[in-house]
Amino acid sequence: MAIEWYLALSALIFVIGAGGVLTRRNPLVLLLCVELMLNAGNLALVAFNRMHGGGDGQIFALMVMVVAACEVVIGLGIIVALYRRHLPIDVDEMRELQG
Amino acid sequence: MSATTLAWLALALPLAGAIVTALGFRFWRGRAAGYVGTAALFGSFACAIGAFFALQGEPAEGRQLVSALWDYAATAGLDAQLSILVDPLSILMLLVVTGVSALIHLYAVAYMGGDRGYTRFFSYLNFFVFSMVLLVLAGNFLVLIIGWAFVGAASYLLISFWYRRATATAAGIKAFVINVLGDVGLVLGAYFLFRGTGTLDFLTTFERAPEVFAENDGELVAGCILLLVGAFAKSAQVPLHTWLPDAMEGPTPVSALIHAATMVTAGVYLIARMHPLFELAPTAGTVGAIIGCATLLIAATTAMAQTDLKRVIAYSTMSQIGYMVMAVSAGAYVAGLFHLVTHAFFKALLFMAAGSVIAAMAGNQNMDRMGGFRRAMPFTFGCFVIGGLALAGVPPFSGFFSKDEILAYTAERGGIFLVLVLVGYVAAFLTAVYTFRMIFRTFLGEPVPEARELEQGHLHHPEHPTNPASGEIEDTEVGFPGPEHHVAEQSPTMKVAMGTLALLAIVGGFLQIPKVTHLLDDFLEPTFADSIYFEALSPSDAATFVGLGLGALIALAGIATAWLVWVREPGTPAKVRERLRPAYALFVNKWWFDELIGTVIVRPARWLGSFALTAFERLFVQGTLVGGTSGIVRAGSAAVRAAQSGFLRFYVALFLGGMVALTIWFLLQA
Amino acid sequence: MNGAAQGASVDWAALSPLLALAGGALVVLMVGLFPGRGVRDRVVPGLALLTLAVTAGLLVWQYDTSTDLLEGALRVDGLTVTLSFVFVVAGMATVVMTWRHLDPVESPGPELYTLLLSSIGGMVVLVAAQDLVTLFLGFELLSIPLYVLCAIQLRRRGSLESGLKYLVVGSVGSATLVYGFALIYGAAGTTGFAGIAEAISGDLSSDVLLLAGLALAIVGFAFKASVAPFHQWTPDVYEGAPTPITAFMATATKAAALGVLLRFLDVALLPAAEAWAPAVAVLAAVTIVVGNVGALGQSSLKRLLAWSGVAQAGYLLAGVVVGTSLGVQATVFYLAVYLLMNMAAFAVIAARERETNLGDSVDALAGLGTSRPWLAWPMTIAMLALAGFPLTAGFIGKFKLIEASVASGYTWVGLMIVIGSMISLAYYLKVIAAMWMREAPAGAAAVAATGPRPALAGASTEAQITAPTRHTRRGTGELTVMAVLFGAATLVVGIVPQPLLDFAAKAGEAFPGLF
Repeated sequence: MAIEWYLALSALIFVIGAGGVLTRRNPLVLLLCVELMLNAGNLALVAFNRMHGGGDGQIFALMVMVVAACEVVIGLGIIVALYRRHLPIDVDEMRELQG
Repeated sequence: MSATTLAWLALALPLAGAIVTALGFRFWRGRAAGYVGTAALFGSFACAIGAFFALQGEPAEGRQLVSALWDYAATAGLDAQLSILVDPLSILMLLVVTGVSALIHLYAVAYMGGDRGYTRFFSYLNFFVFSMVLLVLAGNFLVLIIGWAFVGAASYLLISFWYRRATATAAGIKAFVINVLGDVGLVLGAYFLFRGTGTLDFLTTFERAPEVFAENDGELVAGCILLLVGAFAKSAQVPLHTWLPDAMEGPTPVSALIHAATMVTAGVYLIARMHPLFELAPTAGTVGAIIGCATLLIAATTAMAQTDLKRVIAYSTMSQIGYMVMAVSAGAYVAGLFHLVTHAFFKALLFMAAGSVIAAMAGNQNMDRMGGFRRAMPFTFGCFVIGGLALAGVPPFSGFFSKDEILAYTAERGGIFLVLVLVGYVAAFLTAVYTFRMIFRTFLGEPVPEARELEQGHLHHPEHPTNPASGEIEDTEVGFPGPEHHVAEQSPTMKVAMGTLALLAIVGGFLQIPKVTHLLDDFLEPTFADSIYFEALSPSDAATFVGLGLGALIALAGIATAWLVWVREPGTPAKVRERLRPAYALFVNKWWFDELIGTVIVRPARWLGSFALTAFERLFVQGTLVGGTSGIVRAGSAAVRAAQSGFLRFYVALFLGGMVALTIWFLLQA
Repeated sequence: MNGAAQGASVDWAALSPLLALAGGALVVLMVGLFPGRGVRDRVVPGLALLTLAVTAGLLVWQYDTSTDLLEGALRVDGLTVTLSFVFVVAGMATVVMTWRHLDPVESPGPELYTLLLSSIGGMVVLVAAQDLVTLFLGFELLSIPLYVLCAIQLRRRGSLESGLKYLVVGSVGSATLVYGFALIYGAAGTTGFAGIAEAISGDLSSDVLLLAGLALAIVGFAFKASVAPFHQWTPDVYEGAPTPITAFMATATKAAALGVLLRFLDVALLPAAEAWAPAVAVLAAVTIVVGNVGALGQSSLKRLLAWSGVAQAGYLLAGVVVGTSLGVQATVFYLAVYLLMNMAAFAVIAARERETNLGDSVDALAGLGTSRPWLAWPMTIAMLALAGFPLTAGFIGKFKLIEASVASGYTWVGLMIVIGSMISLAYYLKVIAAMWMREAPAGAAAVAATGPRPALAGASTEAQITAPTRHTRRGTGELTVMAVLFGAATLVVGIVPQPLLDFAAKAGEAFPGLF
């Protein structure tokens, strides 16, 4: 298959992720959408690696996965802290800081 | 230590003195601040002497030392360093400034003794000396401009030192405004030169100037004339002189230090320092000489008709600086600087003696009210007479030799300069007359009540001290001269200061007795070695001795005239006044210069100002520019802060929007 | 990259600052496990400071190094070393500010310092990176600890909110960056900067993949540097985060983000400068306007400094755009100066948070000129310096940036800097006026002595309810000393800038391709 298809798919996933971040209000879902965006990048990396050969792209993709896991862990931690404080789990309610 | 290190020290000590006195203003008790300030100045003077000897130790061709402390901004094409230039000229000025300042500080320790602002006074005074030393040591235009502006600021602070006197603050503001005008001239002049030579450093400028400017090159002449504007403002030359008489509102030590011995001679120093440029632009030099000559005549005539003791001396200062400016503009550098040195001695002495008299009069400066102080204050009288003889140019006092040298050397230039010299001789006669008018009216005649009181051994204290200028009741806590004022007769430190200056006023002239001694010539040679006039101007023996004789005769004739008019036949002044009413009106009104400036500059400026205020300022600036701009900024602020809504998703949306926009822009590049 | 695995020689000396940071982070974490207040209150901050001091020492040792490390993954050169100094000094100041700042009940002790040290390590990796993979790793190593640090006051709503906002927007930024890197990799076929530069100078400069990737990568970096329109997280996060962390983000993170922009744009993408420079210049101008306009009318000092930080990012971007070694020097100089000015200001803000119950409001500074001159003067100097007042370091910094812009034909950007500085006077002077011309609000200082825990920034009512009643008044001595030190440094650099200019010029030497 030509590289264009992989790219189109990854772009689609990226846009879906971005759309999700824009439309969803639950921080948990937001994190999922961010994961989608990161994995769109991973897909592109792996596809390009296939095209160019060598291992750089694959290693990069592995690194991104680790980083994505870290980000999700922190996100979950904050969500748990919010929950314990009985604060709303809704990003639209978090407007104390503004102006 | 090397000459430059010592010069840096001489610069640092007054600054340290100013800071120490200022920071400790709550702790200093009694006269501590005065002693600290004076000690700093004596230390500075000692460093100056050290620098002098260190410099003399160098070979003659190596006596121009530049020392830079650090680069302020060494960016491409701009060599702005904090650098000083140590050469015979700057060392001469350094010696005069620190030496006379040290003596005047000593005088002020007692003179200002009862003043509430004692510590403040010495902090200002030290700051002034620091600025002045910075000015004379400056090694490039940047430092010169800084020193120039600092000196103006210090002068403002000291003139309006008694800030509850409305007249004093008004005089301070006037001095400041005219000085700022001069600063602008100096900055613009330096800019013109910088544009041509591409450097701010003095020595490099002098080196490159002949390469980039032709003789009388338009830009160079413009630059030099702008420098002259700076010099005229600082040195009170026509038409920028009107601030100096008003500056006499300041305490008398200030008048002695700033408005006689040091600051007002800065213009003379500037012209001498820039002599390679002025020699390349002879037109500018001629302009300077003519202005100097006009000033010396106008000031001398005005001094004849003034009744305020300090103002007479102030006009006399203007007149004497006119001589110096004329000399250095005509190329008679050593003569001009020689007069600068002797003038610093005798004029400071005159001011100190006048201060003593004014103290005895409890602040009154009007000569009409004075008389007969001879017996009450013999020491002051002696000093005043010595200073007066030197000022009038009676041999063998210092002023005789220096004034004569100016006139003799300037005459050598020939042509128009001969006319200038003739005017100089006329003014010399007037100088002798007004000087002795002062002495006769103040010290001879019937003793006034204040003098009698002093003869009994106690000072006169008025019940209600009044401002001599406006007659308002004075706030003695900050007004002159405080409840415990001093006269020289009673204070040893004042006597020491005045005695030293009197001695210098007598012997100062021996530095340069025509055809006998030439110490200054030798000393200053390294600075002026490249000058085209330095060697060329040398009067013949015959001219020298004719000049000396003429000068002595004129001085004596002037004194005799004064004696005839004010002592022998006291009614004469009124008669003369009657007969020469228009001339008298001209002189007593100071040639109407204030009014002239009023009509020519102030009134149109005010009219323009009010026009600008109504039409331009209100409609355009306030309405359109400020209103419009601040409106836009305010609206922008509101929009930006409204966007900062706190909605996370909105932030992400803007983020992604920006991303898409940037990506599209980049793709359009392809 | 796999060279290291095969046992290729590693330049341990050049790598030592990074190793010291990593090792220190681990030691701090382990030692923090020991029980006892003494360990938590004294030993752990002391160890963190020691780690930073050792790192600084190693940096001095490696001052003149210029070498590639780990098969070209990292590069230790003038830029790395100079910016690492900035990070380390910022880190030290942050440790000092944190020491007694956070209430022990509501925030953990040793983890905080470990996270701080890892974040600094990430910054060093970031500015040293010579490869897209290491660059991304450094980027995340810097960001992830910061997300946690922002949210570290788990009981305070503002802190949690700021952490979550930062995390979500930051992750979107990371995803953008990864996607951009993927496209660049796709276009160039390699992840090394040298290889990318080589490929671009061939025929790729108008390649669609490359340009799109470039745009996305710039967006990712611009987000971290708070460049408009990717700046919106900045005011909210700065206000919500604990003040010491805000100070750290404002100074060190900004330096890291600008440093990597310098490295990435002026090394890897220099051959494509025609494509990116105009766009970045426009971003700089927009940022200057948005930041300065946004700062007007703010009453929270941290928010005000956040907006001012946005504006300053715009000024700094001007030094990146020009792509000359003069620009690099100007940028690094301004980053160092920015550290001095901001740390002085934040130290004062933190001190007032402890002393009054007004938090970081401008009101907390009212009357400071008479009551606490040792705090008022550093703040005054810092504000004047941020506004670019002559005789302060900020003036020289702005002067150099404008000079760099004008020298490279970006006169209009220089003009924007001037206009921005004029607008900025309005809000900086407001702070100064509050200190010197307003009376202290009645009883504000007294409340701090007797009242409950001093309110933290943007403290909500819930936070005060849950605040511990046991309260010992926390001193501000170390903050005063810090404020005076940084304020004095701001002034000294403004008068004698040459040593710091030489230091910044060292960074410029790292770019042999520039003129």
